[in-house]
Amino acid sequence: MEINLEKSSGLSEGMSLPGLRKSITQKQINLYAEASQDFNPIHIDENFVKKTPLGGTIAHGMLILAYVSQMMTVAFGRDWLVGGKLNVRFKEPARPGDTITVSGHISKLEKRGQETIINCDVQCCNQKNDLIITGEAKLGVKNNENSD
Amino acid sequence: MTEEKIEYNQLETGYEFPPSSYELDASVVTTYLRAVEDTSYPYEDNKAVPPMAIAASAMAALSRSISLPPGTIHISQELEFRSEARIGDGLTGYARVNRKWSRGRFHFLDVELNVCNDNQETVLTSKTSFILPQPDDEG
Repeated sequence: MEINLEKSSGLSEGMSLPGLRKSITQKQINLYAEASQDFNPIHIDENFVKKTPLGGTIAHGMLILAYVSQMMTVAFGRDWLVGGKLNVRFKEPARPGDTITVSGHISKLEKRGQETIINCDVQCCNQKNDLIITGEAKLGVKNNENSD
Repeated sequence: MTEEKIEYNQLETGYEFPPSSYELDASVVTTYLRAVEDTSYPYEDNKAVPPMAIAASAMAALSRSISLPPGTIHISQELEFRSEARIGDGLTGYARVNRKWSRGRFHFLDVELNVCNDNQETVLTSKTSFILPQPDDEG
């Protein structure tokens, strides 16, 4: 079962987050380089990167991480935008031509006073099921007055 | 204004970068949204900026004061979104080197970054780890 709500009632451990699928293009990578002013040649310079063990350009880790934040925004709205926390590791690079699947689930719910802390495991995989990003996301949501 | 960049080999654990102030610019946010193809949230209606766009702009500001070697790779990231920011807000990034270390052939750099608004409220906190190429590996 997937969630798409901003209050804590109805949440349960193990519940899936609303996943995303994204195709990576060099054009997107170039746009992200412009937005972040990160023009490291491993992202944008095919001639440079061919001479390195990477073999070809790779997406910025923060570009892929933005998809995780997008998934969390779809699931939790403003509670994510103000109060969200991410802690991730970049395991493998994402490359132009890759299709990235972003997914996650609620790993733990902790009631603390008037709010519930939602802990999620999140991950991004490519079309070969290689793990690109793995980590945790966390946020607090107000308890519904009518919830248990 | 041209800001002086510090080279990686000059950095030491505890080094604090000069604060970098900037304005959240609509064109940067638009470019960010095109890059990530995020149409899921009505940012344009209330001019609230996606937190990952704030992170991107903070990285952009930091990049004006640090010169990392080509081939540097981002290996881990912590982020906390503390308060909202809107297009046109003035923000200042405060960055420091949390740790600079080596293991075998590999060199690592951990940088902590706090972004505050003009009221000195923290908007975003970030911890970033990089792995850096050996000088011989550089193109």
